[in-house]
Amino acid sequence: MHVLIINGSPRVKKYSNTDKILERFTGGLCEEGSGEGNTFEQYEISDKGQWDTIREEYYRNSNIIIALPLFVECIPGLLMEFLESLKVREDNAAIAYILQSGFAEGVQLRCGETYLEELTKRLGCEYRGTLVKGSNFGIRLTEGKARDKITAPYEEMGREFSKTGNFFSDKCRAFTGPEVFPAFVRFLLGIMFKTAGRKSFDKAAKSWGCTLPLDYRPYD
Amino acid sequence: MILIVNTTSETAVTKKIKEYTDAAGIETEIFEAGEMDISHCIGCNHCWLKTPGVCAIKDDYEIILKRMIHADQIWVISDTALGFLNHRGKNIYDRILPLATMYLQFKGDQMRHIARYDKRADFGLIYIGDCDRDYLERWNKRVALNFESESLGVFDHKELKEAVACMY
Ligand SMILES: Cc1cc2nc3c(=O)[nH]c(=O)nc-3n(C[C@H](O)[C@H](O)[C@H](O)COP(=O)(O)O)c2cc1C
Repeated sequence: MHVLIINGSPRVKKYSNTDKILERFTGGLCEEGSGEGNTFEQYEISDKGQWDTIREEYYRNSNIIIALPLFVECIPGLLMEFLESLKVREDNAAIAYILQSGFAEGVQLRCGETYLEELTKRLGCEYRGTLVKGSNFGIRLTEGKARDKITAPYEEMGREFSKTGNFFSDKCRAFTGPEVFPAFVRFLLGIMFKTAGRKSFDKAAKSWGCTLPLDYRPYD
Repeated sequence: MILIVNTTSETAVTKKIKEYTDAAGIETEIFEAGEMDISHCIGCNHCWLKTPGVCAIKDDYEIILKRMIHADQIWVISDTALGFLNHRGKNIYDRILPLATMYLQFKGDQMRHIARYDKRADFGLIYIGDCDRDYLERWNKRVALNFESESLGVFDHKELKEAVACMY
């Protein structure tokens, strides 16, 4: 199969977590053996210079994946701007989504997921499901093995999509992980947020050249 | 203070709201954002990790942000597209991130970012156009949850009286 993949993140490709996820996902999708003969083309919404091409390819392709970060509980404003420019299709095209976010629990992404089904209808396309997973904020702040740990599981999801052409399987559903964390996990994470978590954000900020405390109030 | 951000070109809506709020003695600040230069969020994260609380994009959004931290309520007026807010409306929410810090905590059973300022503004939404209202209600509640506040509800632009009744 040939898949048109649109990275709906407003963040430039180099720094986009969605892009790093797609690297792994497409690796699984087009893997030797199971993915033999599969092909894909990928475009970035963050690059407005590509919009005309994306639109053309959108109308030409019938097997589409839109991968996107959750932005304030739904789709990013920039992706919305692009989608607003599309005409309704009446030719049996199908869209599946990879929805990823910063917060870790499945429940955080459900409101966004619900909209994607409605969106697909409004675009005149068939809905092929959404691969839902959080806990991806760290991709940009990590490298090597630490990054691989977050992104590598998407390879298996690429293989799964290659088999089914959708994200409806139990395997894809289970990929989300817990809807909410059990109380004892929340308790432990809560302590971690106040200690090691804070430190790691402070460290990241320092490496970005930040000299102010992260809870600084510029407008007080 | 009630902050109203009108991202549409329908200034008649804000005019009507002002009539009602003035009559009721409610203090409002209105931004006609339809005429302002407001970009989308580019997800650079500078407002969290490089210049805490300050957006890297230098456009008209900053004056709105500076008023948001003093507001008791934030109301956005937006046109709809594809059953949701159009991009102009959504951009107002995406650019709000400097009001939160990078730091995390649990609120109830879910992760949230720790707020940068003490004030908590409740959120209301007025839409113009076709949309799934139940969905917008749900979404608006989720938005408020992220800022440790309440949803004031979602209203069609023909229900301004009802909307204004929720302003205080
Ligand atoms: C403006 C903005 C809003 C966001 N809103 C949410 C949110 O509501 N829930 C969440 O879990 N993560 C949220 N995130 C985090 C992103 O979804 C997450 O960092 C994602 O991995 C970014 O992917 P990208 O680098 O491809 O843009 C938000 C990030 C930004 C910049």
